[in-house]
Amino acid sequence: MPPKLLKWLRVVVAMAVLAALTAAFVDFRGLVPSWVGHRLAEIQFVPSLIALLTGASLSLAYVIIVIVTLAFGRIYCSAICPLGILQDVIIRLKQLLKRKSLPLPYSRPHNWLRQIFLWTTVVAVVTGGSGFALSLLDPYSNFGRIVSDIFRPLISLANNAAVGITDKFGWHGLFRVVPSWAGIGALMVPVFVLMLVVVLAMWRGRLYCNTVCPVGTLLGWLSQRAAFRLQNDQGACRKCAACLRACKAQCIDLRAGSIDFSRCVACYDCMGVCDQHGIKYRFAWARKAPISTPAPPATPDAVSDPQRRAFISKAIVGIAGAVGISRVLLADEKSPAGSAEKIQNFSPVICPPGSAGVERFIDRCTACHLCVSECPTGVLQPAFLDYGLLGLMKPCMDYRVAFCNFDCHRCGEVCPDGAIDLLDLAAKHLAKIGEAHFNKDKCVVVTNGTDCAACSEHCPTKAVTTIPYGNNLRLPSLNDDLCIGCGACEYACPVKPGKAITVTGLREHSIAKKLIEPKATLPKSTGDFPF
Amino acid sequence: MKTRRDFIKAGLALGASLPLVANLEKLFAADAPAATAGVPAVPVAPKSILVAVRDGERAAMLDKAMAELGGMGAFVKKGQTVLVKPNIGWDSPPELGANTHPETVKRVVEMCQAAGAKSVSIFDNTCDQWQRAYADSGIEKVAKDTGAILVNGKDETLYRQVGIPNGKKLQTAKVHSLVLDSDVFVNVPVLKNHAGSRITACMKNLMGIIWDRQFYHRTDLHQCIADLLTLKKPTLNILDAYAPMVRNGPRGKSADDLVVMRTLLVSTDIVAMDAAGAKLLNLQPSDVRHIAIAAEMKLGTMDLEQVDVRRLKLA
Repeated sequence: MPPKLLKWLRVVVAMAVLAALTAAFVDFRGLVPSWVGHRLAEIQFVPSLIALLTGASLSLAYVIIVIVTLAFGRIYCSAICPLGILQDVIIRLKQLLKRKSLPLPYSRPHNWLRQIFLWTTVVAVVTGGSGFALSLLDPYSNFGRIVSDIFRPLISLANNAAVGITDKFGWHGLFRVVPSWAGIGALMVPVFVLMLVVVLAMWRGRLYCNTVCPVGTLLGWLSQRAAFRLQNDQGACRKCAACLRACKAQCIDLRAGSIDFSRCVACYDCMGVCDQHGIKYRFAWARKAPISTPAPPATPDAVSDPQRRAFISKAIVGIAGAVGISRVLLADEKSPAGSAEKIQNFSPVICPPGSAGVERFIDRCTACHLCVSECPTGVLQPAFLDYGLLGLMKPCMDYRVAFCNFDCHRCGEVCPDGAIDLLDLAAKHLAKIGEAHFNKDKCVVVTNGTDCAACSEHCPTKAVTTIPYGNNLRLPSLNDDLCIGCGACEYACPVKPGKAITVTGLREHSIAKKLIEPKATLPKSTGDFPF
Repeated sequence: MKTRRDFIKAGLALGASLPLVANLEKLFAADAPAATAGVPAVPVAPKSILVAVRDGERAAMLDKAMAELGGMGAFVKKGQTVLVKPNIGWDSPPELGANTHPETVKRVVEMCQAAGAKSVSIFDNTCDQWQRAYADSGIEKVAKDTGAILVNGKDETLYRQVGIPNGKKLQTAKVHSLVLDSDVFVNVPVLKNHAGSRITACMKNLMGIIWDRQFYHRTDLHQCIADLLTLKKPTLNILDAYAPMVRNGPRGKSADDLVVMRTLLVSTDIVAMDAAGAKLLNLQPSDVRHIAIAAEMKLGTMDLEQVDVRRLKLA
């Protein structure tokens, strides 16, 4: 394949992935089919790995990425990973703005940093804090949060400004939406990561991918051992340094005539600019390297072992400590142990239907916020410390914002890593994620002596009905067995401050009973008008 | 033979309904000879007319009812802007009866268009997520098929704060600008049982034209429902009672909650409509407090004896 074509092929695939994923994450109108976000998220490295490890789905994407990397290097990082592609866009924009961009010279790898981030993640996965470390470091999830939490509300605002204009021209295709901002606590992380990514990309290209990103480091380690690697053809190379200027990873050492393939993100920009065909894919598993290259100055292997070990052990201790602390924090939120099973199963925070329970959910979820973006009602909101530190930014049901739509399982449709199972609607209708509690003393019917029943009106399972009360009034009445904890009653309750009907979560979800009634026959038809 | 009391009652009913039926003079004029036959010397205030149709399909019943009232042209003049307000409160398919059936809404829109309406708009301030409710109720497709404008009922900037000086508890509210600005306002609810307000028909459906529904619930549901009518009453009310939800309302759980009645009611008198709706659900109109309050506030006729009910059967 001609080298330039390879580069353009990479660009086309990358732009398609970025555009489709961005559309899925921005989609405040629900126009993008759920499979678009789901499929593109499913093929990402970390979600696919989690799905495979937890047995949530037979996700082969992870295996394919490993095999491709072992064959041709980090193609994932430039063609599939949305955070990587986003950095390429930032770099390109910078080049367009500044006509003369300074070339980034070869730079030594920051292997100790890479190791810390990688091992932090690995240790976290092993010790069970996988969700936490991965949610902070997974590049796909970081991208998701940046688009979902920052771009989406900003684009909603732009949309609302545009509605005023299009309406004047008599076109009604646009409508106003309520911009959905995450709480300030949950918003801090994506804002920080976006700033970090922008600054690093403007300053040193793909430095983020080659220092912070654990996926980049892991794939780099594989890439370094790939069967086919990009190599500098000393015979053809005229040392014009065009490749050096094009390289975003600063991994071409022209002086030594070598390429640090562990940091090469396989963007093929160097091949695209080289008129001499000086950079080529070469089979590198042959016994003797076909190109005589001096040893690279500092590959990860060259780092002294004691040094690395020290870092690794520190990382392990640090992370184990963090995991331990957060586990305790999480445990503290359990209500005091009571005799009743119900009290033990109480959770102060409610996780979505299909997640089976709080523990499983925070273990599996990487807080990519695809479900947050896709939730039609907006009831799914990023938590701050509601789940404890381990659950930072993971979605929870916020009944102040909305309630869970009865006939909807979109979060399960889009979730890429099995944190939220796709329940069919019949199962979802009975998936009990919480339970309502009715405080009669606060109810309008009692305090005001007037009818209300907003709770019963909204209840989809008829766990809340009304019974005769006082002088021709109707008082809400609750049947726990039928309640699924969807929050419709709490959201609709007009009492303030503090609602008369509230929902508390279940740590372990269960299945509600179903109300079965015979077909209604009254009032009987007389064949005539009753008036 | 008319008594003096009847005269007074009929007069009051007319007085209450005059502002909204100003364009119906022709209709009343046609009706006048019959009403005044007994006492030719004194002009008699005509009764409200309520057309009740049974035993047909939705569009056919509506055609029959409107023909009885002189056609949609009696209400919609050429070049007027029309608002059609169905009940689209729930993300629920037509067969579950939680929303006004799309066939009825479609026929109403078509009739308004045929009468020469400049534009027909549709909206509701829904309970469930509005896009899902619009789509799954089948109303979105109605708009697409007919060219009616489907308007977002969840856009607060489209609502205007207005005073309701004659309201007892509801004295100010944010009302959708389409209600305030449209020339013709057609109310097209569905008849249902209701956990809080006992029934939901024409009056209760108008909770979907104001922004803050919770104020009603917090303050005095029935009184607020009646109070809003002092601001503006629909030009025409069309009640879909083809298969009313008789229990678990207003959301319902399954098609088992419906009883097929194949009935449709049309009137300009919103109180008479709800009184008839209550009777269809086997309730006394006075049991439904907002109907009783509205009658007391002279917003329409609760006593169906005082209404000119035209009973029509298609089969």
